[in-house]
Amino acid sequence: MQREEKQQDAVLEAVISRVNDLKTSIGAMIFKVENEYETLNWPNFLDNFALISGQLTSLTKILSNEKAPALRNFTVLPLMLKPDLDENLARVTEGRLTTFSHDIVPDYLRTKPEPDAELKMMQLEHKANCVTYETAQKQVAAMNKVVGHVWDLVNKAREEWESEAGSRSGAAQTFSLTDTPLLVAAISMGKGLKHTVAPGAMMGGPPPGPQRGPGALGPPQGPPGGIPGQMGPMGKAPSAIKTNIKAAGQMHPYR
Amino acid sequence: MNEMGVTTNSAFLCLFTSASAFGSPIVQMAQQTVNTAIDSLSAALKSNIIPNQEYFLQGSILDSSVEVLLHRLRGLCDNVDTTLETFHDHEMCFSIRGPNNAQPALQLRVRRSLDHNGMPMQLRYIGQPEIGDKSRPTVLRNSIDIGTSNTVVEFLTELGCRKDFEYLAKGYMFRKGRMKITVFKVFKIDETRKMSGGAFESLTALTHSYLVELSVLAPSGQDAIADDMRCFAEQLRPLVQLEKIDYKRLVHGP
Repeated sequence: MQREEKQQDAVLEAVISRVNDLKTSIGAMIFKVENEYETLNWPNFLDNFALISGQLTSLTKILSNEKAPALRNFTVLPLMLKPDLDENLARVTEGRLTTFSHDIVPDYLRTKPEPDAELKMMQLEHKANCVTYETAQKQVAAMNKVVGHVWDLVNKAREEWESEAGSRSGAAQTFSLTDTPLLVAAISMGKGLKHTVAPGAMMGGPPPGPQRGPGALGPPQGPPGGIPGQMGPMGKAPSAIKTNIKAAGQMHPYR
Repeated sequence: MNEMGVTTNSAFLCLFTSASAFGSPIVQMAQQTVNTAIDSLSAALKSNIIPNQEYFLQGSILDSSVEVLLHRLRGLCDNVDTTLETFHDHEMCFSIRGPNNAQPALQLRVRRSLDHNGMPMQLRYIGQPEIGDKSRPTVLRNSIDIGTSNTVVEFLTELGCRKDFEYLAKGYMFRKGRMKITVFKVFKIDETRKMSGGAFESLTALTHSYLVELSVLAPSGQDAIADDMRCFAEQLRPLVQLEKIDYKRLVHGP
């Protein structure tokens, strides 16, 4: 018995502290709404609700704890009712209750909901019982669909905002993807560097075909037109005969 | 001379008969007197100290952004105490074919500086590049170069080489450790060029970009340097994308 009493006391203490916290946070929320309504925005306001919900959760946890005796098994009975001022009561309840009289008993020691509230609950319950299973399913499905749509909308909006912030850093192209291969080909194989010999200067050799333009490649390509390599743009006619040994008397461009 | 030869030979024999007969080739080389250039060359080849491999990466950058790149390189590289090192080179590519029109012609490059006329010219052989796979961060190719006098062009022509193409490279050179970074513009030499071995009259730039090359010359087998190069290349992003470019695939492009 004593153990149970001790347990009871402990649980009651815990419940009281939690309830006090809850009271404080509700009070803070009301204060915020009343005084700071000009600067308040929805996310900040939602924080209050989050806090309250957390506190309610912890309260529920305590009550559903194994060690907590089921409070519904206990009843609170008023032992004495006086219409006089009770200072002790006033002190304990921080001035909210001054007399423990007959008027307040129905409100504070209530176990059933108020008559109005009870009536409304009865109506709702009645309505819920009338709905058939299929209708209920359909309604649930419809609600899920609507929520899904709203979810998609919100997600898309968020992605747009985020990508907008990211793409502002820009794709300032500092290099050209086409130029790199061009340059590499030029210095490795002379692509684009082999100058087309002026037709006037080429007297002996066959005229340079159109393939001799920017598509001209190095010797590994085979002899496109049998034109021997330029000895420099000197206007001298290179001989048409492909020999590897050049005449000694040929003028050197770098002398 | 013969006596000298005999004495040295007996010294060798002592070496071989002594306890350290099982010494490494390098130790033996250190103890023997090198007689000829061939000996020193083969010794160098054996001990793998000749930097005949080039690891390199290439990329390009638009003319408009080249200043930014130069600033960044100045911050990263070593040789920029005072001013930027520029270079203005004329490179010619010669090739010579084997008998019977053997397909892969041997390509040799001659490079000379237009800024410093007294400097020797450089004759270089560049082999086929090995692109490798994803595990290889850089392109690898054989590269052997040597300084020559300014008669090298005539020499090559007498040998039978043919000039394939030439271009002008004008740009900046940076160094970081063993790595060399060059940022240069390639110019095509027009035909209306003066012949008096000096000024090039009209040049046209090939593209509106500068070519950026990151290269390291190293003996074969030092693949770790490729990873360092890749790390350095990462630092130049997104300004310039230094990567492996397979120019052989570019042959068949448009």
